Amino acid sequence: MPVFSSSEELLHVMKTLWEAIKADPTMSSQLIDSRLVGQFQFREPDGIITIDCSDGQNFKIIVGPTDIKPVIEMSMKSDIAHEFWLGRISIPVALLTGKIVSKGPTPKALALLPIIRPAYSMYPKILEAARKNVLVNS
Amino acid sequence: MQPFQFQSPTKLFFGEYTAASAYESLKELGSSNPLIVTDANLVKAGILEPILEAFPKNGSGSPVIFDDVPMDSDLHSVQNAVNLARAKKCDGILACGGGSVLDTAKAVNICLTYGGNLLDYQGLNNLPTKLLPLVAIPTTAGTGSEVSLVAMIKDSDEGKKLLFGSRFLAPDLAILDPQMTVSLPARLTAATGLDALTHAIESYVALAVSPISDALCLEAMRLLFKSLERATTDGGDIEARSDCLVASTMAGLAFTNSGVGIVHALAHATGARYGTHHGATNAVFLPFGMEFNLEAAAERFATAARYLRISTNTDDQKAAKDLIEAVRNLILKVNLPLSLKDLGVPEFKNGDLEELAMLASTDAAIMFNPKESTQEDIVAIYTRAY
Ligand SMILES: NC(=O)c1ccc[n+]([C@@H]2O[C@H](COP(=O)([O-])OP(=O)(O)OC[C@H]3O[C@@H](n4cnc5c(N)ncnc54)[C@H](O)[C@@H]3O)[C@@H](O)[C@H]2O)c1
Ligand SMILES: [Fe+2]
Repeated sequence: MPVFSSSEELLHVMKTLWEAIKADPTMSSQLIDSRLVGQFQFREPDGIITIDCSDGQNFKIIVGPTDIKPVIEMSMKSDIAHEFWLGRISIPVALLTGKIVSKGPTPKALALLPIIRPAYSMYPKILEAARKNVLVNS
Repeated sequence: MQPFQFQSPTKLFFGEYTAASAYESLKELGSSNPLIVTDANLVKAGILEPILEAFPKNGSGSPVIFDDVPMDSDLHSVQNAVNLARAKKCDGILACGGGSVLDTAKAVNICLTYGGNLLDYQGLNNLPTKLLPLVAIPTTAGTGSEVSLVAMIKDSDEGKKLLFGSRFLAPDLAILDPQMTVSLPARLTAATGLDALTHAIESYVALAVSPISDALCLEAMRLLFKSLERATTDGGDIEARSDCLVASTMAGLAFTNSGVGIVHALAHATGARYGTHHGATNAVFLPFGMEFNLEAAAERFATAARYLRISTNTDDQKAAKDLIEAVRNLILKVNLPLSLKDLGVPEFKNGDLEELAMLASTDAAIMFNPKESTQEDIVAIYTRAY
């Protein structure tokens, strides 16, 4: 059984998480300074979320398909994304074995990882709250 | 035991004078008009002759040869090779050379198979399907690229190295013919041998280790400690050449499954910035990187030291230090530099160290290092290694 029961639930959780990252001054300022455009593509259930910091000023979170061309793309099963944010997965091993596919310059993807690491500890609470929210609203 | 994955899609042949069978093997793989990727030195040295003799004398004309590969593959060279292969309608690749030639051939294969822009295929596991047949004949005993799932190509305009990693990049066949390495000069024999030793040592303590790669690493280390000095001092010693060649392939199989570490990250950054040879740069950083990793890897270094009969000490820290000392001695014996200064790196100026540390800390190799490192740790190693 996949961790997320629907694309809607998956995207709600991921969006809430990235909004929390954006609200964190340390993480958001580092991401804005990096001018990174990164896209996470999920499967089973499917979903896309894009982070666009390309202008060096704004932190945009785009849910769903977009015309923006990402510099780095990471695609994975939604269950792997869940493990990733719980900090339970060895990212090097996941990259080596293809559980996470990375497209684009690998150094840029690697520079992103330590920046977003503090969000691992936010994830369980966000997951719990977001799930309740989806249940309430559905 | 931690879960692991181990794969090698590459078939291996080992034997003196087996390189001549390359054309026959390519035909079996479905390629009758391969592009030969090599470099001008090798053509001049006549190394290719036995291979070319096996090509048909009649029919579609003479073999298509691309020999303009620089030290460290680069995008321009890849593009020129692709243009030639397209014009001549090549249907496979025969790569004969060192790591620079083999990596170039892998990138050429991506372009020939899929068309489009090579840059779109950067990343890890980002290739969609099998590539055209590729047979690799290494002429250095170092990089392991003849079995590895990766290729690194320099973007000279941007001053960066691009990484491509996928199981589809592994050659279909690697022909290990020690005769092909006999003409390699002493300094390059030593430098490429130290690349292989660095693969074996780093991979033995890397994050994705497995008992299968452990066995490959230990035996590769043993063969290199036994024979690298001899291969360097007497290039015609075919037994020593054979040991080094097989060891470098074994270490390649290990690192492509288990990863390398901080030594490679430091060396990649240095090579990108100063154009130093990959193997010789690894040699400088290897003892320093091992010292840095001692805290996390003493037990494994000690196991290796005992397997290699370098140490009988039962204390892991002491046995591990014996291994580091043995590595330093081997580097000295094969006449390679032990410092960046002796390697020819100019004195660091303002900002150089920070830039190098930034490059090294985002190099894919460092992900697999057994101990995490900060920018300060990396700057400290650069400073000590100078
Ligand atoms: N793909 C991988 O798995 C992998 C791993 C490690 C390194 N590399 C890459 O490999 C490259 C280095 O390769 P290398 O160390 O084999 O050196 P190289 O291919 O750059 O060759 C060095 C020099 O040796 C000469 N040479 C090679 N074989 C010879 C022979 N038998 N006789 C006479 N001269 C010979 C070449 O002409 C060249 O001038 C680097 O670009 C590095 O990034 C790739
Ligand atoms: Fe290497």
